Amino acid sequence: MTSLDQTEIFLAVIQQNKGIIYKVANSYCQHPEERQDLVQEIVVQLWQAFKTYNSSFKHSTWIYRISLNVAISFYRKEKRRRHISNPLPEGILALTENPVAEEREGDLYLLQQAIAQLKELDRALMLLYLDEKSYMEISQIMGISESNVATKIGRIKIVLRKNFTQLKER
Amino acid sequence: MENMDLINLWKTQDAKLEKVLLINQMLLKEVTGQKAKSTLKSMIRFKIVGIITFVVYLLFLGFVLYYAIANYSSAWNYFIVSVTAITIINLRGFTDYIRHIVLASNINYNGRVMEIQQQFSKLQLSIIDHSKVMCLQFPFFTTFYLSSAWFPSQVGTAYIVLQVAITGAFVFLTYWLYKNHKPENLSKKWFRNLIAGSGGKSVARAIEFYNHMKSFKEEE
Repeated sequence: MTSLDQTEIFLAVIQQNKGIIYKVANSYCQHPEERQDLVQEIVVQLWQAFKTYNSSFKHSTWIYRISLNVAISFYRKEKRRRHISNPLPEGILALTENPVAEEREGDLYLLQQAIAQLKELDRALMLLYLDEKSYMEISQIMGISESNVATKIGRIKIVLRKNFTQLKER
Repeated sequence: MENMDLINLWKTQDAKLEKVLLINQMLLKEVTGQKAKSTLKSMIRFKIVGIITFVVYLLFLGFVLYYAIANYSSAWNYFIVSVTAITIINLRGFTDYIRHIVLASNINYNGRVMEIQQQFSKLQLSIIDHSKVMCLQFPFFTTFYLSSAWFPSQVGTAYIVLQVAITGAFVFLTYWLYKNHKPENLSKKWFRNLIAGSGGKSVARAIEFYNHMKSFKEEE
């Protein structure tokens, strides 16, 4: 495969899975500028890992693993690293309009806020659950057993619903 | 709210994102080319500043030590022993720094979330071991200027008492710092301040995350 082919395939994979990158970045970075930096860092890491991509995994599984790993690490870094060393002038992912803008107080916005209140790993698990990934796939992405995935999801859903209800009642 | 309601609500986002989320193809292509490389390069450049500083300091220590040994006289004994100890401790610190950079740059984000995050946390926590070793050099800064030519033979008892008291205090301080350099003390302000220069805040976050990871991994 030539490097040109590889680039084209990579661009197509990103195009098909842009929603995953956005949702992960949005869940770990509420601030638009930081989110833009995070998206760039995720895409750079995806590109670097693309050469060693293991085709036994689905593209979405591979993208989730890298995006979550980058997002969780990025989230924990010190504030002085708010901007990555060489940011691009604009964002790789751009919204033509905010998907929740017309309903800032709507349920989807509140759900995003409720997810943002969860701890890092619980948040990752909930994103995968809401995207209807199987327990087996979640276990492959997270690196915990399927039975542990099932019990954890049950517990986190209770916390998420509680957060959601509290936000709605405010 | 029921589970299916949450999932359906989440799905409405997917439908909206499909319509409004656009990829800037030009920027994406840049990432796969020059920009991605330069991002890596600038990260390496940042680390290189630390390496150069360390190397210059070690060269300086090596030079003064060489000079003292080449022009040996028994008057240099305190100096030679102290600077040798400081050099060895800093060499150890330097190798730790290099090992840290190599390990950090070899982490592959491709792995399972728990494995990769565990590697990151361990790396961040290794800063505690690094600063613990660096503390060991403190007492030698109180002895390197002494000379067998005038100490203790040419000085009064008061000076000897003062010197022993200062060196003894530094030995005790070093022992205390070494003993108390442990993750459990990250909740204490003095410890966070002490390691702040070496990234104490991120270490504090790492330990909090490490504990979260431990409970997350446990089967319920």
